[in-house]
Amino acid sequence: MKHSSMETPELGSSNLRLGMYDEEFKRFNWTLLVIELLLVGIGIFNLMSATAVQDKSLGLYKNQLLWFGIGLGLTALVLLPHYSILSRTAYFLYFANLVLLVAVLLVGKSSLGAKRWIGFGGFRLQPSEFMKLSVVICLAKYFESDRTLEGYGFKDLLLPGLLVAIPAGLIIVQPDLGTALIILATFATMMLFLKVRTKTLLVIGLCAAIALPMVYKVGLKPYQRQRLISFLNPNADPKGSGYNSIQSMIAVGSGQLTGKGYKKGTQSQLNFLPEHHTDFIFSVFSEEWGFIGSLTLLFLYMGLLINGLSVAYQSHDKFGLLLSLGIVTIFFWHIIVNMGMVMGLLPIVGVPLPFLSYGGSSLLTSILCIAILTNVANKKFMF
Amino acid sequence: MAFLGQEEQIREFQDRFRYVYAIVFIAGALLTSRLVYLQVLTGDKMRQYSEENRIKRVKITAPRGMIFDRDRTLLIDNRPAYDLEIIPQYLKESKQTVQVIGVLAKILRMPESKIYEILQKAKSQPSFMPVKIKTDLTRDEVATVESWKISMPGIDVREEIKRTNIYGDVAAHLLGYIGEVNATELPSFNKKGLKYKLGDNIGKFGLEQRLENILRGIDGEELKEVDALGRVKLGQGKGRVLDANSIKAAKPGKNLVLTIDQDLQLAAATAFGDKSGSVVAVDPNSGEILAMLSRPSFDPTEFSRGISSAQWNKLINNENHPLRDKTIQDHYSPGSVFKTVTAIAGLEEGVIDEKSTIRCTGSIRVGNRVYHCWQKHGHGELNVISALTQSCDVFFYRVSQKLKSVDDLAKWAFHLGLGAKTGINMSREVSGLIPTEEWKKKRFNQPWNPGETLSVAIGQSFVLTTALQLANMYAAIGNGGTVYRPFLVKAIESFDGNLLEQFKPEILGRHDLKPLTVELVKQGLWGVINSPRGTAYHQRIPGADFAGKTGTVQIMRLSADKIYQKCETFKFRERHNGVFVGFAPLKDPQIAVAVIGEHVCHGSTGAAPIARAIIKTYLEKKFPDLYSEKAVAARLKGVPLNPPPVAVERDEEDIIIDNDSIPSVPIAPPPLPPLPEGIEKDSSELDD
Repeated sequence: MKHSSMETPELGSSNLRLGMYDEEFKRFNWTLLVIELLLVGIGIFNLMSATAVQDKSLGLYKNQLLWFGIGLGLTALVLLPHYSILSRTAYFLYFANLVLLVAVLLVGKSSLGAKRWIGFGGFRLQPSEFMKLSVVICLAKYFESDRTLEGYGFKDLLLPGLLVAIPAGLIIVQPDLGTALIILATFATMMLFLKVRTKTLLVIGLCAAIALPMVYKVGLKPYQRQRLISFLNPNADPKGSGYNSIQSMIAVGSGQLTGKGYKKGTQSQLNFLPEHHTDFIFSVFSEEWGFIGSLTLLFLYMGLLINGLSVAYQSHDKFGLLLSLGIVTIFFWHIIVNMGMVMGLLPIVGVPLPFLSYGGSSLLTSILCIAILTNVANKKFMF
Repeated sequence: MAFLGQEEQIREFQDRFRYVYAIVFIAGALLTSRLVYLQVLTGDKMRQYSEENRIKRVKITAPRGMIFDRDRTLLIDNRPAYDLEIIPQYLKESKQTVQVIGVLAKILRMPESKIYEILQKAKSQPSFMPVKIKTDLTRDEVATVESWKISMPGIDVREEIKRTNIYGDVAAHLLGYIGEVNATELPSFNKKGLKYKLGDNIGKFGLEQRLENILRGIDGEELKEVDALGRVKLGQGKGRVLDANSIKAAKPGKNLVLTIDQDLQLAAATAFGDKSGSVVAVDPNSGEILAMLSRPSFDPTEFSRGISSAQWNKLINNENHPLRDKTIQDHYSPGSVFKTVTAIAGLEEGVIDEKSTIRCTGSIRVGNRVYHCWQKHGHGELNVISALTQSCDVFFYRVSQKLKSVDDLAKWAFHLGLGAKTGINMSREVSGLIPTEEWKKKRFNQPWNPGETLSVAIGQSFVLTTALQLANMYAAIGNGGTVYRPFLVKAIESFDGNLLEQFKPEILGRHDLKPLTVELVKQGLWGVINSPRGTAYHQRIPGADFAGKTGTVQIMRLSADKIYQKCETFKFRERHNGVFVGFAPLKDPQIAVAVIGEHVCHGSTGAAPIARAIIKTYLEKKFPDLYSEKAVAARLKGVPLNPPPVAVERDEEDIIIDNDSIPSVPIAPPPLPPLPEGIEKDSSELDD
């Protein structure tokens, strides 16, 4: 491979590091890890409230703590080598993840009518969560050596499109529309950043405009269609499909300025909120901590995104830049779609809120993302 | 460093970051403004919504007032019953629903399809409103459902106080029943500010309906904290915000003490057996109704708890009309019992006196028509006493001929309370009919035919009376001419027994009869029962001066071959009605009773025994010193206590073979039987 020469300076800089520990420590980018720690802390604390009343979810926060512990270990592992190792193993990671996705469909565990999990000893993994990261790594790798500046055309998009479409398709059939949409949105964002020819964009836009009604009629399951209708008019059937949206908005709004107090959120404690420890976790937090708490949380997320972007901006190589940018994009879409859904700005799509929603794979993926971003950040002064 | 040529590309990329930052900031601003909107701008409203979500208002049904008879025997009580309800909101189409319904069907021993059917029917109402699946669960069922409840979301057992008519079908029409207010009734109630809600019970019939405002309690309300599955949160104080004032107690309705004597009711019901008809007993000195029955009857409790369509159809298709209150809703030709009116009119108008006698030869001729007496061979020489005793038709034909016109007869009928509603506090009372010349002119645009007066004189032709009017009329004769408004409620009491209101007799009209008139009529009526020539001699009560008058009324035009056949050989619905009205004791009457037996053939054997049973029960109960068997035996040494069976055949007694006097066109269309849903028509009569 062309860029194998990269390893030499990398090794050299690692050697240097040993002798300048203090300086190195100062240079270490702690910001993202600190934000992560704050978010996980809030997440666990919030989860203790969200799961306080339901028998079946009681004590789930302990699992989350366990996953966080595993995540910390992996963070250390990820921080050690240079992130270019990801460039070298990109396709392997991608295919390995793809195999897991196929395995889910074959031997996966069902829950709530969807096959999303695969058992590993005592753990359940959700390969689709990791797939987001794998796709970003894969795309960064794919476009790393490309020199195009004037924009990509149809032919150029075909192969990367396929790289994205295969896992997205596998995820849609699980079915997990939310995750698939995140992957597609991430791909689209990255491609727009890399520049797509205006003509191509127009054609794609036109095709989408034609295809969307058909997708609505044929591609969407009835409950998904219902969600879309409910989003457009949640009051149409407030006790039915619009229920989640309305109850969630009520939860957020009823928090008012200072919130109802920890574990005092009636909407969540009395189960008016569905899925309140996973997709609707933000409404639990919002109800109990009010506008002040919600704004603080939103600032933390914005801090994460801005810091992630500056990592990408300051990255000295294209792989690092695209990798960081892709990771920030994943976070961005998760935050926007989840909060937008909880606050009634977007239709209900099953997308977790990073660090706050319950779920091992989601948490682990987020932690890995931060670890990779930190790795990239730490390497930018090394040259 | 990195790849050759990458620097240029990276610089180009860094340029593009402007847009990326911009997008992130815009998204952040968007989310922030939404937070401001939801939590700051509309926070109050959202907080209120969340409170409403969490706090369910649970109605505490106020117990309806109880109903007692005059001796405080409980007639209508509230007894707990258990209903099973499903809140459909928590049953979405899923495996769980199938499972829940499956279990439920087994517990309740009803087919699953039936449950689905009930749920399907309730589809139109909001899904958070409970749907009643089964009423009156057994204790076992309640226990089993309660133990399964945790795994069956949306299932609830509701305790409800059910209205129970303790004596079943005795006095069903009088006491009535309750039912859920329906959507068409609601506006008319709420217009009066009575604030009923769908699902509330209201009186639908009888006293339950008429005295709704008194019997109805004011429902209370309890605020309960519930979770999204509708389960009441019992919690250990954690997260509970409701304080102790979250309960507004229910205010029970007021109790009624009736003028009715349940012992008489039971005696009447027993005496009636399976005959159909009605009986009314009043206190001649106050107008208090002592007994009031219509037969056949129905069990109001079944109605109050929701009657099945099969039971309903059975009742409505019964040709003896169990749903009709025959005491006030139906009027009948009184027949010979009306002869007392003719006698009084004759005596009061001065056309006859105690010395007047008339010779009965079996018939008289008016113009070219012959008017017969029921006694073909004639009664011979009669005065007013023996004419009443033997119920001679010719005597009263002659009296009516002596009167100036039918209006003189009608005047005394009106004075005695006939031809107008008594104004008893019950729905659907009919007024009966006393014909006058003016009435006929108005009704048929025809002048009065003098011959018709003869038919009126013996209670035929257009004359129609209700059982209540007859009892009230004889009460007035008994007390010397005072007509009281019959009433049913003696007192209203609070739920804990404090007297709130007491009702006094109300005089409708007072036309004092000459003492001699009263004396003569009373003697005639006494003879009916106590003279061997009387038409009801075998009904006498030894030791008690029981007086009365029989009547047998042909109700169908009979073909010539049937006229001389025995009534019992006719088809049931063509048989004569038997009427009896009487009072006792003779000197100072304490009770007056009217009995109408439908298709019983004879007033003497079909109706009089029922009146006798009531009067005997009443006298023995009220005056044991005078009328208990012991007291009577002591007073009348050697006289057999039970009247010996009288061999005299009196089959043809009173019956008027007079097809022409039976109106071929019904004077007033009979009122329709009450429909449970149709009762709202009368709700405007509800007392305030």
